[in-house]
Amino acid sequence: MAYAAGIDVGSTQTKAVLIDEDQRIVSRALVDTGANVVTAAEKAFRAALDGASASEEEVAFIVGTGYGRYRVTFGDAQVTEISCHARGAVLMFPATQTVLDMGGQDTKAIHVDPRGEVLDFCMNDKCAAGTGRFLQAAAFALDIPLGDLGPTALRSKKPVQITTTCIVFGKSEILSWLARGKKVEDILMGVHRSIAVRSMGLLRRVGVEPQVTFTGGVSRNRGMVEVVQEMLGVTLNVSEESQFMGALGAALFALDHIRKSRTATKPPVGKSLGAKEGTAPA
Amino acid sequence: MTDQESIVGRGAQEGSRLFREWYGGLTAAAERGAPTAYVFVMGSIAEILRVFDFCMVFPEINSLQTAVRGVAQDYLNQAEEYGYSTDICGYLKADVALQLRQGAHPMGRIPKPTLAVVTNACNTYIKWAEIWERLHHIPIFTMDVPGARSAGEEPRCGSEELERDRVYVEAQLRELVALCEQLTHKKLDLDRLREVLSHTNDMSRSWRRILELNQTSPAVFNALTDGTIFLGVANALRGTAEGGAYFRDLVEEMELKASRGIGALPEEKHRLTFVGVPCYPMFRRFYELFAEWGGVFVNSTYLSFAAGGLNLGYQYDLERPLASLAEGILMSLRQSMDAMFFQDRSLVEMAQSFRVDGIVYHPIKSCRTVSTGLADNRRAVMERYDVPCLFIESDMMDKRVVAEAQLKNRIDAFFEGLASRKLRAQARP
Amino acid sequence: MNLLTEFDVEPLEEVLTLCRDCIEDAKFDTVRRWREAGGKVVGHFQVYFPEEIAHAAGLLPVKVRGAQVETQQADSRFGSYLCSILRTSLELALSDRLKLDLFVTPPICDAARNLAGIWARNFSYPAQILYLPQNPNSAHAAAYLTSEYGRLKEVIEGVAGKRVGDDDLRRSIAIFNENRSLIRELYAIKREAPWLLSIEDAYALVGVGGLITREEHNRLLAAQMPRIRARSARRQDKIRVVFEGGFCEQPPLEMLRVIGESCYIVDDDLLIGLRWIEEEVPLGGDPLANLAEAYLERSSYSPVQHDLRKPKERMLLERIRRAGADAVILTAAKMCEPGLDEQVTYTKTLDAAGIPYFVSEFEEKMTSFDHLQMQLETFAENLLFD
Repeated sequence: MAYAAGIDVGSTQTKAVLIDEDQRIVSRALVDTGANVVTAAEKAFRAALDGASASEEEVAFIVGTGYGRYRVTFGDAQVTEISCHARGAVLMFPATQTVLDMGGQDTKAIHVDPRGEVLDFCMNDKCAAGTGRFLQAAAFALDIPLGDLGPTALRSKKPVQITTTCIVFGKSEILSWLARGKKVEDILMGVHRSIAVRSMGLLRRVGVEPQVTFTGGVSRNRGMVEVVQEMLGVTLNVSEESQFMGALGAALFALDHIRKSRTATKPPVGKSLGAKEGTAPA
Repeated sequence: MTDQESIVGRGAQEGSRLFREWYGGLTAAAERGAPTAYVFVMGSIAEILRVFDFCMVFPEINSLQTAVRGVAQDYLNQAEEYGYSTDICGYLKADVALQLRQGAHPMGRIPKPTLAVVTNACNTYIKWAEIWERLHHIPIFTMDVPGARSAGEEPRCGSEELERDRVYVEAQLRELVALCEQLTHKKLDLDRLREVLSHTNDMSRSWRRILELNQTSPAVFNALTDGTIFLGVANALRGTAEGGAYFRDLVEEMELKASRGIGALPEEKHRLTFVGVPCYPMFRRFYELFAEWGGVFVNSTYLSFAAGGLNLGYQYDLERPLASLAEGILMSLRQSMDAMFFQDRSLVEMAQSFRVDGIVYHPIKSCRTVSTGLADNRRAVMERYDVPCLFIESDMMDKRVVAEAQLKNRIDAFFEGLASRKLRAQARP
Repeated sequence: MNLLTEFDVEPLEEVLTLCRDCIEDAKFDTVRRWREAGGKVVGHFQVYFPEEIAHAAGLLPVKVRGAQVETQQADSRFGSYLCSILRTSLELALSDRLKLDLFVTPPICDAARNLAGIWARNFSYPAQILYLPQNPNSAHAAAYLTSEYGRLKEVIEGVAGKRVGDDDLRRSIAIFNENRSLIRELYAIKREAPWLLSIEDAYALVGVGGLITREEHNRLLAAQMPRIRARSARRQDKIRVVFEGGFCEQPPLEMLRVIGESCYIVDDDLLIGLRWIEEEVPLGGDPLANLAEAYLERSSYSPVQHDLRKPKERMLLERIRRAGADAVILTAAKMCEPGLDEQVTYTKTLDAAGIPYFVSEFEEKMTSFDHLQMQLETFAENLLFD
């Protein structure tokens, strides 16, 4: 039985997922991307192999995704994380028609069909104010651990209206509300709402159709889940694996390749790590 | 096949040569202080100005050339230091810097204006001309050309509603003639005007034919890259014998390519429509991001509005030159404006007749005229017609807001979708 | 019928509060009441609209000028790099806060020109562009504009389901003449005794005109003016300024209040469209021709009206001189191209004339003004102690 691997090289973290031919997740790994994208990809891949007690030769196909996808030099193909998140979300939640992916650096809304194919997508990859980055900035400004952001915000009774469109000024707006005596939870909820409102724009552009699956690092924030649910009027699918959605989707694309080559006469060949030129898109 | 060898590619080569020559002409005009008219692509009123022998300068083209040649940032910075906001039209800013540099331009030297002629086809034109008025103390002529009042209007020539507007345009045209006569101390030569009008007639007939030829598969020219060269000639040489000859040759070339199946791309995989203004700071690379996937632009709204509606193919009636010129300006500029504000229906029609696989919307920061309505337009088109539509934002001048990695991400995802859509269509019984 | 409830019996302070609440009310209660009584509404976008024509047909002309609302639906219909007023205006219509029977916009700027197309794709009622001349210097402009008003009148008649005769128009013109005269009186108070009326109150008093019938507005203004003059308020040590930049997107009321703490705004272009015509429109002769002539010959100025006789910088200097102002607060809405363009010409002219000015940008949805307040106080102090 061969494995398929997906490696998602993001701006802050690199994820790797190994699946078997029955689409079951055999292992997953997460490392900080750091400055060297290539070594991060290798490290994540190795960690995933270790987790499955598998050898490189048992991995028949590797797909790279994320911004660093062309730097996964040992990969066999690259697919955009848009397509990968769509596939991953539909595997996890088969009735998904809309995906909202909120990461540290960008936010995307994807309209998918039952096969996980992308019908339409819309991204905010220019402005940090609609992404997890604003939450990080708020956490820093209010001196609150990231993990506490959601629960704290959920205690809010009267959220403030955060109106600045840029997180550079957003930080000083947060401090100015504090100076005016507003409660931390109300300010935090304001920040959450401000981020969520931006997602609404993206979602409406692609069309919101249930079920809606929420992926990406920010989906682990319970406060954000509540706010988005309230704004959309729809319950969201959220998974523990949400951070691995992209890598999972990439692994599924890798599996497609394995299956396709099975129907041809060539047997699958194991890939080895090591210096190799980047490969062209398959 | 020597005829093929000498003809295919001729348009691009000739176009570049004509362009270089034209800039050479501008430099010479600058040196001798020739009377010069600053005009815009949407409503250059070239036909009148040529009769009075004005040297024609297109600041929009000058500005985009600074971006294509990689020096726009310098010009933009200078204008911003002078006081102009980062959030306004990049064409205008680059030109302000050009004026402050006494016309020093990568392609040569640009003469100072004696006169500026603008239409309301773009409001930035009007603010821009006000700047020249203050910098150079020159007369500026603003021509009102009322466009369609609402979506879906299709007024017939001679109809009462169109006549109300046409009468106004003709009155203004005569006022422009009077101004030119005053500035040049010459009278309007009607025979000369007829000659100029007939050249424009030639060009617009040819242009219409060329755009139509891209309905064939494979498409014979790329609307984004080749189209921009053709557009440059269409504007700079509007109303000239050379312009007429160029476009006649171009028709010959494109008809030859169409009959022999010689496409713009070695392998045409996806036929696309481009909506918006090209990304000049990254011109070649932008085209490659699509060509790498076998994507060719078979048409573009840019080719409609940026030649002042020349594609309408309006034929001036030489028996009544001024009245007909007024009507032509009105109809053509209306077409231009419709191509920017009310184009969702025509986009669907174009997608059908050109058998388009996808539409690429490219709103840009600089141009609110073209970009403001695109997101909603895309929504409306996708509701009406099953065609994938990509939405990518950048700019036509300012590379600070052009992010290649992010563009590539979206473009790749778009093509991944197109490719699997094709596979599914083929797999269907 | 009063759309604003019975204000005749309320004291001045209550009326002012009522007006401030009305212009900040994103639910548009006054318009809703009009509709509930069976009335129809013409929404007109900034800057100027010949409201008399709609009024003569028995319709309520409502000035569409954005609002402080979350643009949940509208954002998906716009890309980036655009002013807020477009988004919020569309949001008002999409969310049914503002229900219209006709929407008209003049092509004041390149962003706004797209509104008719966007509106037409999203609503079933007519959405039109009114092509006001950008070449008012043409000898034919008056004839053209008269015919354009005639065309508009036909559209309005279609919506209203009735014909509009010349006498109807004359009656409406008379009411609007009265309205403009009252607003001029209000501005005279601002100029001569600005301590009698805060800027946010003055603003609200004018602004409600775009949300209620003009007859009601006339009664409101006529009743309040003597009360305002009768107020006993002390003149304070504030600099006299002209506020320039409020011709389209509006600064939040709170921002005006903050400015008012250190300045007397003795003249401005806030909601200039409501007082665009500066003299009486004659009642004799062809009313549409008179309205057209007034637009071309007896009107104010703005960065979005081009007229060789009215270069904006000269008009601004005129305004400063007539108002006896010490300085200018030169603003532009974020992303407002014509406003930002004009700022450059204005600053260079003011520099040459030696008139102090304070440059700022605003957005209708701003809520914090600490920076502005501090900088403005410093600016004002510098002038006071010069």
